[in-house]
Amino acid sequence: MTNTGKPLDQRHREGPGAALIRNTFCSVGAKLGTGWLLLLVFTAVFAPLLANSRPLLGSYNGVLQSPALAYLSALDITLIVAFVLTVAVWRTRLPYKVVIVLCVAALTWGISQVLVNVPKLSVYEEHREQPALSMTDWEVLAPIPYSAKDYLRDYGDTGLQAPGFYDGRAHYLGTTENGADLLSRMIHATRLALGIGLLATGIALFIGVLIGGVMGYFAGIIDMLCMRVIEIFEAIPTLFLLLTFVAFFDRSLYVMMVIIGLTSWPGYARYVRAEFLRLRQQEFVQAAVASGLPLGSILFRHILPNAVAPVLVAASFGVASAILAEATLSFLGLGLVDDPSWGQMLNQAVRSSTFNWWMALFPGGAIFLTVFSYNLIGEALRDALDPLSRSSNAKKVDTAVGAS
Amino acid sequence: MLLDVVNLHTTLATGDTDVQAVRGIDFTIDQGETFCLVGESGSGKSVTALSLMGLLPTGLARHPHGSVTLMDRAMPGGGSHRTSLLTLDNQAMSSIRGRRMAMIFQEPMSSLNPVYTVGEQIVEAIQLSHPHISNAEANVLALQALTDVRIDDPENRINEYPHRFSGGQRQRVMIAMALACKPDLLIADEPTTALDVTVQSEILELISQLQIATNMAVLFITHDLGVVAQIADRVAVMRDGLIVEQGSKDEVLFRPQHQYTVELLSALPENLQRLPSTVRSTPLLLDVSGLSVHFPLRRGLLKRTYGYLKAVDNLDLQIRRGEILALVGESGSGKSTLGRAIVRLLKPTSGAVRFNGTDIGTLSASQLRTQRTDLQIVFQDPLSSLNPRLNIATTLIEPMKVHGIGESDIHRESLALQLLSDVQMPADSLWRFPHEFSGGQRQRIGIARALAVNPALVVCDEITSALDVSVQSEILQLLLDLRDRFSLTLLFITHNISVVEYISDTTAVMRHGKLVEVGPTATVCHAPRHEYTQRLLEAVPRMNNFKVGGS
Repeated sequence: MTNTGKPLDQRHREGPGAALIRNTFCSVGAKLGTGWLLLLVFTAVFAPLLANSRPLLGSYNGVLQSPALAYLSALDITLIVAFVLTVAVWRTRLPYKVVIVLCVAALTWGISQVLVNVPKLSVYEEHREQPALSMTDWEVLAPIPYSAKDYLRDYGDTGLQAPGFYDGRAHYLGTTENGADLLSRMIHATRLALGIGLLATGIALFIGVLIGGVMGYFAGIIDMLCMRVIEIFEAIPTLFLLLTFVAFFDRSLYVMMVIIGLTSWPGYARYVRAEFLRLRQQEFVQAAVASGLPLGSILFRHILPNAVAPVLVAASFGVASAILAEATLSFLGLGLVDDPSWGQMLNQAVRSSTFNWWMALFPGGAIFLTVFSYNLIGEALRDALDPLSRSSNAKKVDTAVGAS
Repeated sequence: MLLDVVNLHTTLATGDTDVQAVRGIDFTIDQGETFCLVGESGSGKSVTALSLMGLLPTGLARHPHGSVTLMDRAMPGGGSHRTSLLTLDNQAMSSIRGRRMAMIFQEPMSSLNPVYTVGEQIVEAIQLSHPHISNAEANVLALQALTDVRIDDPENRINEYPHRFSGGQRQRVMIAMALACKPDLLIADEPTTALDVTVQSEILELISQLQIATNMAVLFITHDLGVVAQIADRVAVMRDGLIVEQGSKDEVLFRPQHQYTVELLSALPENLQRLPSTVRSTPLLLDVSGLSVHFPLRRGLLKRTYGYLKAVDNLDLQIRRGEILALVGESGSGKSTLGRAIVRLLKPTSGAVRFNGTDIGTLSASQLRTQRTDLQIVFQDPLSSLNPRLNIATTLIEPMKVHGIGESDIHRESLALQLLSDVQMPADSLWRFPHEFSGGQRQRIGIARALAVNPALVVCDEITSALDVSVQSEILQLLLDLRDRFSLTLLFITHNISVVEYISDTTAVMRHGKLVEVGPTATVCHAPRHEYTQRLLEAVPRMNNFKVGGS
C-alpha cells in the first residue's frame, strides 16, 4: 500500500501477530530459551573464526596473511554475510526486510561458489611449525586454536584426555579419542544441530501446511483420500527408515533432513486441516467469499495466517525431536563419519573401556539445553495462544464481565 | 425481606489493573417477589449475581466494601436468623448454594454435562445439598422435579442424555435442577436470551407459576425490557457497576426518572420514531422461485444418505428495488440458509434465484465472482465477522481492488475513508485491527465492507442480535440512512419482531423452510392471518401490553 503522508505510527499499529510474539516473550522460559538459541546461532555462524587451528591474522616473513579467512568455504561466507545483514536491518523500518536478507544471502552464495576456492589439502601442523621455524613475525590465534578435524597428530600424547592443560595446550573440555579438541568439535557441531532441526521441520511444515490446507478447505472426498495418505505416512517409523537408508546409502546430512521431514509432516497436516475446517465456516471467510475474492487470497490471506499459530507450537516441539533423532542416529554410530555432531560425541563417551565423563556431560548438556529451549519456546507460544491459560486472570474477568 | 444487599463492591483483578465491576449497589429482595436487574453488556449485572452466589474466582474477585445478608424465612416475625454471605468460606457457601440460593444460566446448550443423563444430573444436585437422601428417594425427587417443569413423559425422559433435549427443554431441566432443593431465591442470569420467543414465553410462564407455588423469590437478570415488563415486580437499572434507578415496575418503566433509563427506553425499536412507509411499485430486483436447499443426512460406515434436511423447501420470494424485506422466523426455520443461498454462499439444491433476471444459482465460478459485487451479506457475530489479522484498511480495500473499483491504491484508500465516515466511524479506524473495536463498531465496519463493492442488495443476517438496544437502535437508523443514500435493497433477517416493525416495508414469516405469510409489515404485524404468525406475535413480550397494573 502506498503512503499518503499519514504518520507512520498509525500504519505500524500492533497487530495480533505482534501481540502474540510479545505475549510469548513475556515468559521467562521463552526468554532463556531464545537466549540459548541465539548463542547457538552466533556460534554456528562464526564457528570457523571461533575455533580454528589456523591463525586469524598473521605476518609471515613480512607478508600479512589471514590463513583462517583463506580457508572459509562458500557456506561460511554466506552465513556470516546473512547474519551481519540481519543484525544490521533488524531495528530499521525497511520494507521487506526478510526478502532483502534472503536475496543478498542467495547472491552471496552464488558469487562465493564461483570465486571462493578452498584449498583441497589442509595441513594443520604447518601453522604450528611456522613459529618454530621463525617464519612468523606475529599472529593472532582463534579463541580455540584447534579446528574440528585437527587430530593433533604432531603431538605424541593425544587421545582421550580429560579437560586440562597438556604441554602448554589448553583443552577446556578435553579431547576426543582421535585427539581433536572437544570444545572445537562442539562449536562446529552447532550448525548441524540447528540446521537439521530447522530444515527437517521446514520440509515437514511445508508439506503439512499445503496438504492440510487443501484437505481442510475443500473437505469432502479430497479430505478423505488425503487422510488415508496421512495414515499411511504415520505408520512409517522414522528411526527405522533412517537406519535402513543409512545402511544402504551414503551417510548424508541432507538425506537425513529430508527423511525426517518427509515422515513428520502428517502431524502438521492434521493441525492445519482442523484449523482450516474451523475457519472455513467463520463469518470473515464467508464474507471474503461473498466479496468475490480469488481463492488464493481466501486461502493464504484470510485463512492461513489465522491457522498457523497452533502449528508453530507443534513445529517448535518438532525441531526438538528432529535434533534428538539425529543425535540418536549418531549415538548409534550411524551418523556422519568425520563431521562433528553432538550425538556422535556421546557415542564416544561409552565406546572405549573407560567412561569418559567429559564426552558425555558437555555434548549431552548441549543437546539437553537446545531441546529444552525449543520446548520452552513452544510452551510459551502455546500459552500465548491459548485464551484460557494466557494471563488467565484477565481472561476470567473478561468472561465474567462480558457475561453481564 | 429475604436478601439485603448493602453497598456491594466487587473488584476484579485483571493483570495490572483492577476493574471495579460493581461499585456500591444497594437493593433488597422480598420473599416471593421477582426483582429484575436490567442493564446493557458490561454494566456489572452478571458480576452482581456471581458475587451473591460466591461464584467469582477466588483470589481475583474482592469485595472491599459492602455486605450481603440472607434472612432465614423459616422464622416468622422480625427476629430472623441472618447469614452474611460475603464473609462465608467456600465450604459454608456451598451449603447455601443450591439449598437456599440456586442459579440458572444463559446458555442451555453448554450448561448440562453431555455424558450424564438428565436424571443423574438432577440426582447429583439433590444429593449434593441433601447428602443423606438415598438414591431411590433422590430419583423420586428428580422425577417430581422434571414433572414440575412440565417435561412430557418424564418417566422415560429422565434416563435420556442432554443431546436429545431442545434448548427450551434443557433450560427446563436446568430449572428443575435449580428448584430440586426448593431454594428461597432463584437467580436467573438471562435464562431466555438464547431461546426463541415462543419458548421464552413458556419458560417465563413456568418460572412465574413455580414461583407462586413455592413462594420463591427470583432475581432475574436480563437486558430485554419487554421481558422485564412481563414478569417484574420491582426493577433496578444498572450502568457501569451502579444502580442508576430502582423502584416498582410501573415507576421505572413507565415513569422513568433517570436520564439513562429514559435513553434506554427510547432506544427500544418500538419507541423509535418510525418513518412513513414508502410503498413503491418499483421493478423486481430479486426473484426467488421454487428455491430448495437440502442438506443430505448421512449415517453408517459408507456415509449413505438416508434423508434430507430441508432447510429451505420450494420457496418463492420477491424483493423489489429499494425495498426492505424482513425475514422473520425462529431458530431452525431456515432463514439464514435462505440468506446464504441468495448471495450464493450455498449452492441451491433446486430452484432459481434471479437477480435482475440473471439466475445466480447457475452462474459459472468466474461469472459469479463479478456478480458478487451486487449481492453482499453482513453477518450476525461481530466477533468473527472480521479477519482478526488484517487491519480495517486491508479488509475494505482488498474487495475494491479485486473488482477494479477505484483507480489506484491512494484513491481506494480515500474511498475506504469515505465508507468509514458513511458508517459514522472515525477516520483513524482505518489502520486499526478488529480487536480494538466494540461489537457495534465492528458491525459498522462489516456494513462498510459490504458497501465497499457498491452492492444493490445487502442481506443482513441477524446483524443486531448480539448488540445492546442502544447500539441496535443506532445501527438500525444507520441502515435506513444508508438505504436512502446508496439506494440499497435490504433483506433483513431477524427474530426480533419489534425490529421488523421498525425497519421493514414488507415482512415474510418463515417456518420449517417455507414462507407461511408475506405481506406489508403493518398487515403482518397487526392483523396476521396465519395461525403461526399469530402465535409468534403473541409470544413477544411487549412493554406497552403491560402498562396497566402489574402481573
